[in-house]
Amino acid sequence: VSDLPGLFDVRVKARSIAYLFAAGATLGLLTLAFPHDEEVRDVPLIVLAGTAYVVAAVVWVGAERAREWHLHVLLLAGTVIISLANYYAGPSTLYPLFYLWAALYAFYFFSLPQALAQMAFLAVAYAVVLAVQNADMVVVRWLLAVGTPLLAGLLISRLLARLRRQARELRQSEERIRMVLDTAPDAFITLDRDGCITTWNVAAERLFGWKKQEALGKAMRELIVPPEFRDRHDARRQALIETDAPVATEHYDVEFERRDGVRFPGEATVSKVEASGEVFVSGFITDVTERLRRRAEREALLREQAARAEAERVAEIVGGMQALVDAALAQRSLHGILRDLVAQVRGVLDVGEATIYLSDESGRLTLGASTPGEHAGGEEFAARVAESREAVLARDDRLIGVPLLAEGVVTGVLVAGAEPPREFSGEDLTLLRLAAERVGLAIAHARVYEREHRIAETLQRSLLRERVPHLPGLDVDARYLPAASEAEVGGDWYDVIPIAGGAVGLVMGDVAGKGLAAASMVGRLRSALRAYALEGHDCGRVVDRLNRLLWTEPEESQMATMLYVIVDPAASTVRWVNAGHPPPLMVAGGEPRFLRGNASVPLGVLPFPIYEEVSAPMGPGETLLLYTDGLIERPGEHLDDGLAQLAARVSEAPEEPKAFLDHLLATLVPQGGAADDVALLALRNLPVREQFSAEFPAQPESLAPIRSMLRRWLSHAGADDVEIAEITTACGEAATNAIEHAGTGNGASFEVSGRRDGPEVEVAVRDQGSWRSERPDDHGRGLGLMRTLMDTVAVEPGADGTTVSLRRRLGQRGGEA
Amino acid sequence: LNQDLVGVQIEQRDDDVVVARLTGELDISVADHARRKIADAVPNSAVGVIVDMSELEFMDSSGVSMLFSLARQVGSHRQQLRVVAPPGRPVSRVLQIVEFGRAAPVDDDLDSAVAEIATQRASEPPRG
Repeated sequence: VSDLPGLFDVRVKARSIAYLFAAGATLGLLTLAFPHDEEVRDVPLIVLAGTAYVVAAVVWVGAERAREWHLHVLLLAGTVIISLANYYAGPSTLYPLFYLWAALYAFYFFSLPQALAQMAFLAVAYAVVLAVQNADMVVVRWLLAVGTPLLAGLLISRLLARLRRQARELRQSEERIRMVLDTAPDAFITLDRDGCITTWNVAAERLFGWKKQEALGKAMRELIVPPEFRDRHDARRQALIETDAPVATEHYDVEFERRDGVRFPGEATVSKVEASGEVFVSGFITDVTERLRRRAEREALLREQAARAEAERVAEIVGGMQALVDAALAQRSLHGILRDLVAQVRGVLDVGEATIYLSDESGRLTLGASTPGEHAGGEEFAARVAESREAVLARDDRLIGVPLLAEGVVTGVLVAGAEPPREFSGEDLTLLRLAAERVGLAIAHARVYEREHRIAETLQRSLLRERVPHLPGLDVDARYLPAASEAEVGGDWYDVIPIAGGAVGLVMGDVAGKGLAAASMVGRLRSALRAYALEGHDCGRVVDRLNRLLWTEPEESQMATMLYVIVDPAASTVRWVNAGHPPPLMVAGGEPRFLRGNASVPLGVLPFPIYEEVSAPMGPGETLLLYTDGLIERPGEHLDDGLAQLAARVSEAPEEPKAFLDHLLATLVPQGGAADDVALLALRNLPVREQFSAEFPAQPESLAPIRSMLRRWLSHAGADDVEIAEITTACGEAATNAIEHAGTGNGASFEVSGRRDGPEVEVAVRDQGSWRSERPDDHGRGLGLMRTLMDTVAVEPGADGTTVSLRRRLGQRGGEA
Repeated sequence: LNQDLVGVQIEQRDDDVVVARLTGELDISVADHARRKIADAVPNSAVGVIVDMSELEFMDSSGVSMLFSLARQVGSHRQQLRVVAPPGRPVSRVLQIVEFGRAAPVDDDLDSAVAEIATQRASEPPRG
């Protein structure tokens, strides 16, 4: 049926009309062969038949190139030939029946209007023929000859129209089904009874790689079923077909093979279809590779989630332990760590009690820390665990002990006890073993740290003098404030070094780094600096040599900032060298100014830096402040802001160094401590007065400060260098006597006072002992010196001590050296 | 700690002379320390010891006592002691007042002290 449109092909139409011409000619000639009427004229009819034969032959041969309008012309020509034949044959023949042929042709092959037009031409042509013949019954003949073919033609036309419509509808319906199947995402296949493929949609092409024309007619088992499954395929197909029900559907999970040999898992939904007595099998096939993969993924995800939840549970527990290790790494005290550890162990393991025993160097166990209450385990059990070096469960699984190991050495034992009904399981054992590994390390670390910290702290304490030396005429005070958070000792240091001639060296430094290394470096720098300072070098050379010391340090790159200042009160000057340190601050009458000149690089940075000494005046009543950056550095703040802050606080601070430093610490260091260590050193050049009086401990160490005080005072009183040296020497002798008389130790003191009386100076030394003219090994040389160097020496023994008064008139002994 | 007050630098010269250079200040708090430091540095083989006080800022009678004691100690080994104190300095004034010159010679500078020791040695018979 689907080939129906082929009947209306122009070739078919052409050949059909050629048949009609040839058949008409043959029929016409046959009538001439039989006896017939006289009025029939044979010759013209034979010519007409011949013409028709020629036309038929030409059309048959040229059918391939025929056009639609050729056919119309041919049909008109055929009508003319039929009409001529009717004319020459006369009215007695049945030749008008040929008109029926033309009409049938027209109505069969042409559209209705075209066919009617041909019929009109036919009617006119026959009317003309009849008119020329002038025969009887013209109207009847004409009506019969024209009406009959017209009626027949119209009937054919209607029949054909209906057939065409049905064919079109069928075609459209098939088209729709094919489109549905071709756009279906799943492969659709139908098989006939023998298992040969009858339908193969686009999805099937895509899925299997076989084109429709390649697949159709092939056995499915050969094309897409893997060899090992072919028998099963046949059996299933056969079973499906043989079921009693007219319709049956089955699902199969099967493996298929593609054209390129790749196999894939598929899901087939197969139905038996029985239609118009024909049985076939149809099936949808889906590639489930992706679906299986997603399902596997989902399952893997679920498994992973479960595993992760489990891991997180364990991690949370172990994390609690790790937090303690972190705390230990943050360097807290061993005792604190142990206390936290037992509390944590009890919480994490949900046990009644936990105890940590520590092992000392000889392997003896001592109680480190335990949760409050009784500890049932006891040292015996702990010792057993330590000896076995393995986790031990005891007392019906209610007591558990694990050794704490650090680098293979038992540092202690962790014992945990459960209260009924809690019992320890293998999981607890594993967990506790895990915890013990970390705890062991934490303890070892804390021990090492504690030892180092203790050493560093001791070292630092010894380096930072608790009391700065007493310097007459100068008021010096210092502060050291460790950082709030840092448990480690910092590298800040300061020092006060009395220098010959009444000057004093001030040091403020900051060694990079912390802890023992920094503290020991401070110690080395400090000793070296003291040695160099006493050799009398200027500031530049002292700092230079320190730099060399640091630069040649073989162990690691060490660096330090440092300020070395020499305050010379007699000359009213300060000289200093700044090696990368924050500038010293001078305060005169509440007005602060930073001494910024010639700051150079820190120590240990360059092999040959230039450290140049700078000097500035420092009059009586002025204060010098040295500090480390901890005082001015605040996170997120510019250094200049810190310096400005410092200057502002200094300008409002009281002058006396103790109160001065207290004020700075109170206003500049945040509540709870500074971020870094802070060291502060303040020196005030006290105003010189006409007279003075100072008390000193009766110790030889008091002599140098007394001399320095005397030099300052004498200089202020107008004594020249020789007078200063001589009077200082004489007074020193008197002071030495006072110290010797007081005997050793026991906190005795003596008083030195001075007074200017016109051109005369008088210095009195008052002690609490009894006067002796001579010191052992002195042979009277002390008294001799006093008498020679002073104008008068008066010794006034008293009930509670002796006073030696020394007087000398200034400006009297020129050139007497 | 107060030992920092005085600096003692020992120089062993190849002509069997020990030079002890003092810096800083010398008073009773450091005198004994300085004496021991010098005495310990003088080997028996030395011909003599020179105490160079050119750069010493201050010395009192305890420093003088130390020098006397050193002179005795050195003399007992038949070694010479010479003191260098440039004139006009506070130290030389003290030495002058206590007449230290009677115990041991005082020179103006180190070079002349070294030269003096060399001369003395030449004039003495070699020791066994």
